[in-house]
This record gives sequence, structure tokens and C-alpha cells, in this order.
Amino acid sequence: MPNETVNSRPVVRSGIASALLPGLGQILLGERYRGAGILLGFLLILATTLWYGKPVWYVSPLLIWLWNVWDAVSLAGGRKRSILLPLFFGLAAAYGIGWQVVEIDFSKADMDRAMAILRPMVRPDFVQTRREVNQMWVPVQVPCSSEPPAARREDAGRIATVIPDCGGVGETLIVTVSGMWPNAGMNIFWQNPIGNPLMLGEGEITMLTLTSDENGSITTTIRVPTTALVAAPDPTLPQFHRIYFEQYRPTGGYELSFIGSEVLKGALATIAMALLATGLAMVFAVPLSFLAARNLMSGNPLTYAVYVVVRTLLNILRSIESLIIAIVFVVIVGLGPFAGMLALALHSVAALGKLYSEVIEGIDPGPIEAIRATGANWLQVVRYAVIPQIIPPFTAFTIYRWDINVRSATVIGLVGGGGIGFLLIELIRVNNMRGVSAVFIAIAVIVIALDYISAKLRERLV
Amino acid sequence: MLRIQNLSKTYPSGTQALKNVSFDVKDGEFMVVIGLSGSGKSTLLRCINRLIEPTEGKIFWDDLDITAAPPADLRRIRRKIGMVFQQFNLVKRSTVLTNVLSGRLGYVNPWTSLLGIWSQEDRQHAIQALERVGIADKAGSRADALSGGQQQRVGIARALMQDPKLILADEPVASLDPVLSHSILQYLEQLNKEGITVICSLHFLDLVHRYATRVVALKDGVKVFEGAAREIDRAKFKEIYGEEAQEVRAASL
Repeated sequence: MPNETVNSRPVVRSGIASALLPGLGQILLGERYRGAGILLGFLLILATTLWYGKPVWYVSPLLIWLWNVWDAVSLAGGRKRSILLPLFFGLAAAYGIGWQVVEIDFSKADMDRAMAILRPMVRPDFVQTRREVNQMWVPVQVPCSSEPPAARREDAGRIATVIPDCGGVGETLIVTVSGMWPNAGMNIFWQNPIGNPLMLGEGEITMLTLTSDENGSITTTIRVPTTALVAAPDPTLPQFHRIYFEQYRPTGGYELSFIGSEVLKGALATIAMALLATGLAMVFAVPLSFLAARNLMSGNPLTYAVYVVVRTLLNILRSIESLIIAIVFVVIVGLGPFAGMLALALHSVAALGKLYSEVIEGIDPGPIEAIRATGANWLQVVRYAVIPQIIPPFTAFTIYRWDINVRSATVIGLVGGGGIGFLLIELIRVNNMRGVSAVFIAIAVIVIALDYISAKLRERLV
Repeated sequence: MLRIQNLSKTYPSGTQALKNVSFDVKDGEFMVVIGLSGSGKSTLLRCINRLIEPTEGKIFWDDLDITAAPPADLRRIRRKIGMVFQQFNLVKRSTVLTNVLSGRLGYVNPWTSLLGIWSQEDRQHAIQALERVGIADKAGSRADALSGGQQQRVGIARALMQDPKLILADEPVASLDPVLSHSILQYLEQLNKEGITVICSLHFLDLVHRYATRVVALKDGVKVFEGAAREIDRAKFKEIYGEEAQEVRAASL
């Protein structure tokens, strides 16, 4: 077997080379890319495991190193080993370390907390039963002046009185109201002179709710709220506060709740924001796209320089997420949809500019040649050969961008950019999960509907 | 009469597409230009209506110097020269009618044409042109909804709208199958018989024999033959197309 003795030398040589430096043996055997790949992969995994510092993962680069020696030896013998094995070692280490870095811990999940959020979300606050209100109030002076007027008020057959006619903070008052709906619940609350309601129930944090008798009357004692004079500029100055009596009863049917109407307003603001942003972006993107089209601008060094500058600017601008641009605009123009609109517009200029310029780069020069050959002037060539080719894709891309902008607009609200996202973050802050649920549903409906509409419109244009 | 004198074209890349080409085309001729791909046929045709600016040489059309014409005059010259292309060069998303009407752009008021307004006369003219090529029923279709042969007929109708004295046809049938090739060339032949001069580049020699009244052959931008089609014997053929060439027949129809 003379052949084997001849071949054993490169086998040993490449094995030793790869043992010294992973991939070197492969490189010496002419497999340059394989060798470089092995070296890079080995170094990457080695660096990662060393950085992470948990010795158990050192086994991964070790196994890759062993495989690499084996591969170099096999390669010298004319056989290539599958790279699936080292790939597996590397990925095992990467995912294992990843798992620990991400701090995955399912025991942290708390079902009770989850249910506390999810239970109200099952009932989105969008509509409520239609009801009518029976409201009555009576003025009362706090603190007492020397001659307080009678704390009594009559209105549409209803009479409310307070004894005594005035009181100081914390003093007890006897309140009587008659002529209200009989045998029905009644909310009683305080309102200070600037219109803020103050609770009269347990600890002044719950609503005082009582039931009227068969004549529609109630008599109860209340205390003047301790916070009644907090907003008063001069606590010694007597001012008129009000005690409110409110009854509700269903009248059948449903109506939009307060949150529901806010959700609708937010949804409208979001769609409008996206629409204006897209429109504004289009106005700037169309001229820019011509400057960013290689086929139009590569004629001479000057125009080519303009092309490079515009392209670079668009690329930089496009790489900045609109959410981040929104944060900047919130600082500049303040909270609200205007900031969100500007952020979306700026990002869209870059995105549309790029898409438009690619359309221009892709137009068929044939029709241009043909229209020129008919004796048409430059404007006619643009009108009959260029515009018909670019208008449909421009429109399709613009609609697509509007679709994307509506999605972004919902998120941009979260950083103060207005629209439905702003409502969402406000509702999350006050833990109104029924409202949050209504917002989620509204966002889903908007996104699905626009996705469908934009797809249908674009289908007709292509 | 069209006189081409010492025409040369060198592209900015340095490629010399035409080298000192001269020949005459008499009114009413069906002149066919042959040669291998890249021999300069397309460049030659485009120099005639100056879609490509020749580097040197002159082109006279009835003593009118095309090569020296200022832009406005050039457009007036171009509108009398219809052009038909290998790839049809229709605006695919526009209707057939709009494509045909665009052949009229050199004649109409530029401002109304920019608004897309066409006179009733032009529209009727366009329908008649489509009728001549047998596809008037397709007037409302989008151009890309048509087959290749139909698209080329729209191309011919567009050229007809120019009321041309000369038609330049750049490999008008190279993208079509042999049956359609004859149908398209027969339209050109018909127009030629009505007095329109035709300059047409072709690939298949049997088509050249069938339609050409005279032939000019180019090889590497140089004119290597000028004469009647029947004069192209085996030796001439080898000279034009090279030693390796085998004659391919379009179809034995």
C-alpha cells in the first residue's frame, strides 16, 4: 500500500494545522472559504462563551475544535464532513446562553394578576345601556357667614333642604330630598365651587348610595368633606358648595359609553393622522424620488453627486424608527396628533422616496423612445410615456404606506403622538382595562379593515 | 429620397457602432437592413430620426439636413417618420386607443394633449388606423392585454397616425412567431405599395427575399453589401454572417 504512506503526511500535517488554528488545515488543503468559516464560527462561539463565563458552555467551542480537527483529517483523505454537527454545537450554546440572558422564568407568571386584567377585558367598555338621569342639587355655604341664606332649593316638584343652612369642614349636616323617583337608588355627592365632585361615602373615597322610599324621599346625615376647602383661595371666606342627588334608570337600548366615544375619536384621529402624514410625505417624496433615481441622475458627475447625497439622506432617515422621530417632535411641537403626524410624515418621505425612485429606475425606456419618435416634445414624452408608467405603482405604494402609517400611528400615540395610542396609554395608567380592551378591539378593526381596503385598491392598480 | 452620407456613431463607452456608412433610399422602396446582432442595424435606424445622435456624417431627406435640424424642426421631421419596434414599445398600462392616439402628438396642440384631450377627428382617425390592422374591437383594452402580434399591429397603427412618408421598422418581427411575422410584414408591404418608404431591419433571410426591394448589409458597423435580395448568394451570406453561420428559415409558408 504505497499510496497510504504517501497520503499520511498531508493527513497529519492538516490535522496538526487545524489543531493549532481551527480552519488552517482546511485552508492549506485549498478550502479557503470552509477554513475561514470554521475559524470565524469558532472564534465567535469562543468569544461568546468566554464573555458569558459559565464553564458548562465551554464544551461547545471544544466540540467544534475537535470536529474541526476531524474534518481537516478527513478532508486530507478526500472526504468532506457535514457542517451540521458544529452548527448544532454552536446553536446549542447560543440558544442556551440566550435562554439564560433573557431570564426566562415561567414561575414569575401570576394567574391572579393575569385574571385581574383579563376579566374586565372580556367586557370592553364601548357601549352602555341607555339610561335617563334625575338630578337635583342644593346650595350650602361653607364655612358659615354671619347670616347664611336658607339651604333649600325647589325644582320641578323636587325639594332639597339642608339643616343647618351652613357648616364648617367635618361638621354634620342633615340632608333631605323629596319628589325624586320612588324606590330607586340614589347617588349623593358633594361639589366644591370650582366643580370638582367629592365623595361622601365611607372614608370619602366611595360614592354614598341610598335608596329612596315610596314617596321618592330620602333623609340622611353627611359630613362636610375634609377636602372641601382644599381648592379655596381663602378658607375663611364663605362660599357656596353644592350637594348633588342623582338617580339613573334604564330606558331600554344601548348607547355609546364615554370611553366608547373617546375610542371612536381616537380612531378617527389616528386614521386622519396617517392620511395627512402620507399626503404630506407624498408631496416631498415625489420630487425627491426623481433626484434619487439612478437612471436619471447618473448622466454627469454633478447630478450623480446629488443622487448620492439624496439617497444617503433617505437611507439614514428611513433607518430611524418613526417612534423615535415622534419623541423628538413631541418635544418640539408638544403632545398630540400633530407631533405624531410630523414624525410619520418624515419617516414616510424617506420610505416613499426610496420606493418611488425604484419605480422610476424600473420604467421601460421603450415607450419613451417610441413617443419621442412621433415628434412629441419633452413634456408630451413625460405625459404619455413616463407618467402612465409611474402613476399606478406610485399610487399603490402610497396606499400601502398609508396602511403602514395607520399601524404606526396607533403605536406613536404611546409616546404622546396623539390618536388612539395616546388614549390607550392613558387608560393603562388608570388601570381601566375595560377601556383598554375597547381600544384593542378598535385597533384590530382599523388595521384589518385598512389592510383589506388597501390590498383591494392596490390589486386594481397593478 | 433619403441620403445617408458617411454616417458614423461612436458611443461614450467607446463602441463604434457605425463606421462611415453611406447609401441612398429612394422614395417607395422597401429597404431591408440585415446583419448580425450588434452589427449596427438599430443604431442606423435610430440615427435617421435622431433618437441617437450620429457622431459624424450627414442624413438628407429631400435636401433637408436631418442631422443639422434644430429641435423644433427635428420634431416636425420626426412626425413624418413612423417607427415600429422589436419590443413594440407600447405604454402597457394605457389603452390601445391612447397608444394609437399618441402617434398624433407631433401634430396636435401640445397643451390640450397634456390634458389628454383629443379631437373627435383624431379619435376617428385612430379607430380607422386600428381597423386597417384589424383590431378596432380592442381599442378599449389595456395594451398589455393583447398578444404579441396584436401589440405590433397597435405599433403599426400608431405609426400610421403620424401620416408618415417613411417608416423605420427595427426588427419588427423578431419577437413574433413565423406566421405572425408574415402578417406584420404584409401590413408594412401594403403601406409600402401605397407609397410609404419603408426601412426595415430583419433577421431571417427568407423574409428578406420575400419583402425587400433592396438590401443593405452591415457587419461590425461597416456596410458590406448593397443590392437586390437575390444577389445574396451563399458566398455573400457567409461574408455577412461569418463562416460559422447556417441559414435559418423563418418558415416554409
